[in-house]
Amino acid sequence: MASDIKHWANRFKTASDSDATIGAMAKYFTCSYMWDMEDAKVIVEMHDGKVKSINTDPAPLDAYDFALRASAASWREFGRPVPRPHFHGIWSASFRQDLKLEGNILVLMQNLRNFTVQFELLRKVGVPV
Amino acid sequence: MARHSPVTGRYVTIEVDGLEYKVFYLHNGQGTPLLCQHTAGAHNHQWRGLLEDEEITKDYNVIAYDLARHGKSDPPLNVEWWKSEYKLTADHYVNFIVALADALELDDPIFMGSSFGGNVALQLALRRPDRFRAVIPVEAADYAPGFFLDWWHHPHANAAQVCASGVWDLMAPQSPEMDRWLTWHYYTQGSEAFKGDLYFYSVDHDLRADLDRIDARRCPVVMMTGTYDYLTPPEATENTARQIKGGIYIEMTDIGHFPMSENYPLFRVYLKEALRIIRERTGG
Repeated sequence: MASDIKHWANRFKTASDSDATIGAMAKYFTCSYMWDMEDAKVIVEMHDGKVKSINTDPAPLDAYDFALRASAASWREFGRPVPRPHFHGIWSASFRQDLKLEGNILVLMQNLRNFTVQFELLRKVGVPV
Repeated sequence: MARHSPVTGRYVTIEVDGLEYKVFYLHNGQGTPLLCQHTAGAHNHQWRGLLEDEEITKDYNVIAYDLARHGKSDPPLNVEWWKSEYKLTADHYVNFIVALADALELDDPIFMGSSFGGNVALQLALRRPDRFRAVIPVEAADYAPGFFLDWWHHPHANAAQVCASGVWDLMAPQSPEMDRWLTWHYYTQGSEAFKGDLYFYSVDHDLRADLDRIDARRCPVVMMTGTYDYLTPPEATENTARQIKGGIYIEMTDIGHFPMSENYPLFRVYLKEALRIIRERTGG
C-alpha cells in the first residue's frame, strides 16, 4: 500500500505538472490541501501551479489549507474515466453524496478553476484506494 | 464573401414596474414564437445552437434575449441601480417577460428557460397561462434551495472564476469539452448578476404549495431535466411535474444543467420531442 500510494503520487504530480489547462493560469496557484480517502490520506502542496510535494503519510499535526473528505467508495467513483451522476465534481458530490469540504474554504475558492481541473485528473490517474 | 450567420440582434426598450430597460435579443426563424431565457448569471449566447438550427427555425421564430443586467441588456436606465443590492423577485421577473413578449407583439408564444429560466417558466404557467401557448421548464423544480451563496461575491476571491468553475460540474462529463468551456466563459462574464439571480432561484421562487393551481391542460408544461444535474436532480423535476395537472416530464440522459449550451446536439433530440408534444396538445 505504501508503495502503491507513492506510485500514485508520482503519477498525479506528472499529470498535474504537465496539464496545459492548469499551465495556462498557473502563476498564483499556490496552496495546500488534504484529500482524505478514508483508507488513505494525502496532503498536496502546490506552488505557482506545480506540485511542490505530496505527503502520502500525513502526521496528525501536518498543516494544510483545506480538506476534501469522503468514503473510499466515493473516491473510487471520482476516479472512474466517466463518473456517475453526482460523483462528477466536488460541488455535486458535496450536495448529493458524502463529500465534505472543510478547512479554509476561501483558499479553495481562490483557486477553484485550477483545483477543479486538477480534481478531474483523477479520472486519468485513478485513486490510491 | 462574408460568412454571416442568419441570426440577427436588436434592442427594444420596455418598461417594467416603473423601470426602463433597453433589452437586447437575438432572433432567427419564422412561425410560432419560441421565447428563450438563459440561465442565471449568463446571457443569450447559451442558445447559439438553437438559434442556428435550420430544422427548428424553419417552423419557429426563436428569440433569445438577455435579461436586464446580463450580456448586452443594461441595468435599468431611469434609476440609480448601483445604490441598492440586486435581488431578482418572481414578480418582477414575470412582469419583465410579459412586457417583452408584449413589446415584440408575440402571438401565443412558447416560453422556454433553463435553471432560473425554467423556474420562471413555472411561474408563467401559474400566473399567465393566458399569455403563453405553452412553457418548457428546463432543469426546473417547484423549489430549488441552496445556491444563494456569498461565495459568488466574496471580495477575496476571483468572482468570475468562482462563478464559472462553481457551476462547472453542473455539466455532464460527457458533454463536449469545447462547449463546456464556452459555457464556463459565459459564466466569467456575469458574476455581478449571478447572486441576485439566485435570490429568485433559491429563495423567492417557491411553488411547493401552488403546483395544484397550474393547469397544463390550458397551458402545456413540458419539463426536461438532465441526469447530471445535481442542483435540480431529475427526481425533483419529476416530482414537480407529477403535481401539475397534465404536466409532462422528460428525463435527458447524460447531460447536465445547461443542456442547450453544453451539448446542443443531444439537447435538440429532447427539445424536438417537447415541441412535438406541444403541437399535439395545442393543435399547432
